[in-house]
Amino acid sequence: MIGHDVFLPAPLLVLSFGIMIMLAATAWRRSAGRSLLGGMVTLLLALAVTGLHTGDMPGSKGDTLFIQDRWTTYTAALSVFSSMCILLMSWRDTAHEGAGTGDEYVLLFMLGTLGALAMVFSANYMPFFVGLEILGVSLMGLVAFRRRPATAGHEAAMKYLILSGVSSAILLFGIGLAYGVTGSLRFVPPIATADVPAALPVAATVMILVGMFFKLSAVPFHMWLPDVMEGAPVPVAAFLAVVSKIAIFSSLVRYFGMGEQPPFLNDILYAVIILTVLGGNLLALRQTTLPRLMACSSIAHVGYLLIAFVCPGLLQPGAITVYLAAYSASTLGVFAAMTAFAPPDGPEGTAVAQWTGLFSSRPFLASVMALMLLSLAGIPPSIGFLAKFQIAATGVAHQRDLLVCVLIIGSIIGLYYYLNIIRVMLATPSFPSASRNRDSRPELTALVIVLTIIVVIGGLFPVRTIHPLLPMRPAPPEMRDETAHWRADLR
Amino acid sequence: MIALPALVLLPVLGGGVAWVAGRIRPVPTPASRDAAWWVALVTLGMETLLLALITFGHQPHAGPWLAHFSMPWIPAMGIAIRLDMDGLSLSLIWLSLVLCFPCVFLSTRQVTVNAGAFHFLFLATLAGIIGTFLATDLFLFFFFWELMLVPMFVLIAAWGHEDRQRAAMTFFMFTQGSGLIMLVSILGLVMAHYRATGVLTFDYVTLSRTPLSPALSMLIMVGFFVAFAVKLPVVPVHVWLPAAHTQAPTAASVLLAGILLKTGGYGMIRFDVMLFPDAASRFAPVAMGMGVVGILYGAWMSCAQDDVKRLIAYSSVSHMGFVLTGIFCGSRMGMQGAIMQMLAHGLSTAALFVIAGAIQDRLHTRDMRRIGGLWAAMPRLSSAGVFFAVAALGMPGLGNFTGEFLVLLATWHVSPALATVAAAGLVPAAMYALRMVNRIFLAAPRVGQSPGPDFPPRQMAVLACVMALVAVLGLYPQPFMAFSLPLPVAAMTGGKDGAP
Repeated sequence: MIGHDVFLPAPLLVLSFGIMIMLAATAWRRSAGRSLLGGMVTLLLALAVTGLHTGDMPGSKGDTLFIQDRWTTYTAALSVFSSMCILLMSWRDTAHEGAGTGDEYVLLFMLGTLGALAMVFSANYMPFFVGLEILGVSLMGLVAFRRRPATAGHEAAMKYLILSGVSSAILLFGIGLAYGVTGSLRFVPPIATADVPAALPVAATVMILVGMFFKLSAVPFHMWLPDVMEGAPVPVAAFLAVVSKIAIFSSLVRYFGMGEQPPFLNDILYAVIILTVLGGNLLALRQTTLPRLMACSSIAHVGYLLIAFVCPGLLQPGAITVYLAAYSASTLGVFAAMTAFAPPDGPEGTAVAQWTGLFSSRPFLASVMALMLLSLAGIPPSIGFLAKFQIAATGVAHQRDLLVCVLIIGSIIGLYYYLNIIRVMLATPSFPSASRNRDSRPELTALVIVLTIIVVIGGLFPVRTIHPLLPMRPAPPEMRDETAHWRADLR
Repeated sequence: MIALPALVLLPVLGGGVAWVAGRIRPVPTPASRDAAWWVALVTLGMETLLLALITFGHQPHAGPWLAHFSMPWIPAMGIAIRLDMDGLSLSLIWLSLVLCFPCVFLSTRQVTVNAGAFHFLFLATLAGIIGTFLATDLFLFFFFWELMLVPMFVLIAAWGHEDRQRAAMTFFMFTQGSGLIMLVSILGLVMAHYRATGVLTFDYVTLSRTPLSPALSMLIMVGFFVAFAVKLPVVPVHVWLPAAHTQAPTAASVLLAGILLKTGGYGMIRFDVMLFPDAASRFAPVAMGMGVVGILYGAWMSCAQDDVKRLIAYSSVSHMGFVLTGIFCGSRMGMQGAIMQMLAHGLSTAALFVIAGAIQDRLHTRDMRRIGGLWAAMPRLSSAGVFFAVAALGMPGLGNFTGEFLVLLATWHVSPALATVAAAGLVPAAMYALRMVNRIFLAAPRVGQSPGPDFPPRQMAVLACVMALVAVLGLYPQPFMAFSLPLPVAAMTGGKDGAP
């Protein structure tokens, strides 16, 4: 049915070819530096061609594997940009690996990005599931890359493998049910027809939703994320928190559309949002290491994003896009600061207590970290403030009073643990900080400056920076129209 | 009209320059510390000049306002940068600037660690406060409201006294948490307006005409009230205040007590009473009751303190009770009294904090049980201390008396019983003020106490100016009372710029 269809979003092509060339180059001679360079160039190219595609955009009637519109362009650009930032973060350590396993790291990383992009662009269950698995398998490898201590990395990778496998199984079962109901692999929720029991499509939708929640780590499917992020190398943790979540959330929005959801779905989403926001924030209160804390905070942020997702209306597209950008930029900033702080050898500086007195020893790094944390907490003058404001606006506009209350309670709790880190950084260290490494890493400094500019400018002049990216009326409404066509076809 | 944004931006820019000036040399020297101090002083001077220009200059195109500025910011959401100035905001900004001078002259020069950053944060807080007083776009107001907290948090957490971090956290959590409730109220109001008219806007004047059901307007008003009540503070939510005031460095204490609390009062006038007059009048009995409770509770707690700064902090709670009662009296006289009380309290309490800070710098303690008999050793400091303590207890002829008297009179018209109870709060006020004077300045010197140098004449001159202002507010309050009233909402819409 699709053999003759050559419609392909260009970033997928660029990434695939880039990975193949890198593979060939690795077979010829191993060099971590060249792999890193190749990866970076490929990502840059992919970013440059995000909006392009080969072949003709299929009409609304034709079945297609991929789709391209402003929503995919936006989320794909965001994913690729985040991947670039994360690659920069892992530059030094990977180059240190030298001829050992540096190439594999970069290759797995690029594959993970490819999987994420495939999910973003998919309009069919097949590429969605394949992308999900590419992402999952390469993430398992990446998580296990941690050298010090190696067992932690392996343990985290096993956890990720098992739980990711379970969630994929549930998702696949849901997809199978959906196919059984509709006889189509189109990436839209199944609709009940006369000859199947009404419960089947509901069960299929719920299973697919649960699979997605697993990957998004929404409470109560969140258990794996803190453990995995703690065990993984810091850049991989950033990849887990940013790129993989953007991809899943993008698919979620694509799948369910941006309109009003059916009541049973709304109820599930309500419960999950309340659990996720409160659960993520409460869990974060108890954490003493930064990756775990960021994992819990990212759980909570998924909850905030879902609030915007269940409040369709005038403000929703803006809220979701700004929030995604704000979350990605601020989280990447935090992880970049963590990477800059970590010494090249010895235990990594991931415990919050190790950050004591950073404002006096490394004021620039501490200021950046503080800004990023404030942005995550939603305090001006950062983009996170605007994002949280818009989320609250969508909630109030839709009179989701309960969700708005949860948002406020969650934000207040969140404020506490973000501020706590700033408080620790402001405190005077009880021990001399002579052993801190102060080697400069220009690539990280540049990255941190770029992210800072994004966060501040995005907060102060949101129109100039964010607005061109915003699909004011993004694709999902069109997609809903397509769904209507398709429903008509079915009948 | 560029003057208003300049008024907000100038302190930030000056602070940035001060920061750079403080960091020019890798190893901080006294000269580089002084450089930051000089930059801050020059910035404040320029700011004052600018404000004087706005005050006395002619403002074209300002409509009913004294000055007006507007430009689009986020048109998609109906958010604009709208700054407007009326008598209330002008007088509160004057208060802020006047208070910054004693801060800078008497206290911030003593900051030795990272002076540049200190001055930057100090001026950034000032900028946020001025922005709060000027913003008439609700989003912008909220933006400034949140913005001024961050530098204040860092000031307390980094330069404060022994228990600073806890105090800073409590301060931030309380104000920010209540701010989120206000955010929901703002959004509720905007959405109600959007539903009624189909226009998405955050403009104060436009929103003031939103048709609201009584229940909804009450709900939104209470949402605003909570945020302002935390800032003011009103008694059940005053918990953050004593700790924050006590632990903050002197300059930050002055900013907190002198101006930051006034943003709460300002907000109550501008966004509670004026935006929702009906709901506010229905809510008035509760608010006035809370105000009177605050008067008594603050004064009572103040009597029980041994820590000088804590004593002054609790006296602030008591004085702000008068402000709350006055604002919700519903009469012009009560409003005037509340505003006079805010101005006079700002001046006198800020001066008291400066003096308490000076005592702590010299004696390294704030415990009144270990301080005594400063009159002999430091006559200038002590006389200033006595003057402001007497002002704080409400001596006729000084500013605080005018405010308290007007508030009590206005309350009497509403409820004689409440006025009687409120007036009873003046008795413990006299107790704590005289007790403080007695123990610190008049009692016999303590053993082992080594008082430092007295205030030099230059610092005394700055304090004398503040004293003169307090006296003027007490002896000839009429021009201030007439001038500092907020512009009525009805008048805002009359102007050509006020109408949408």
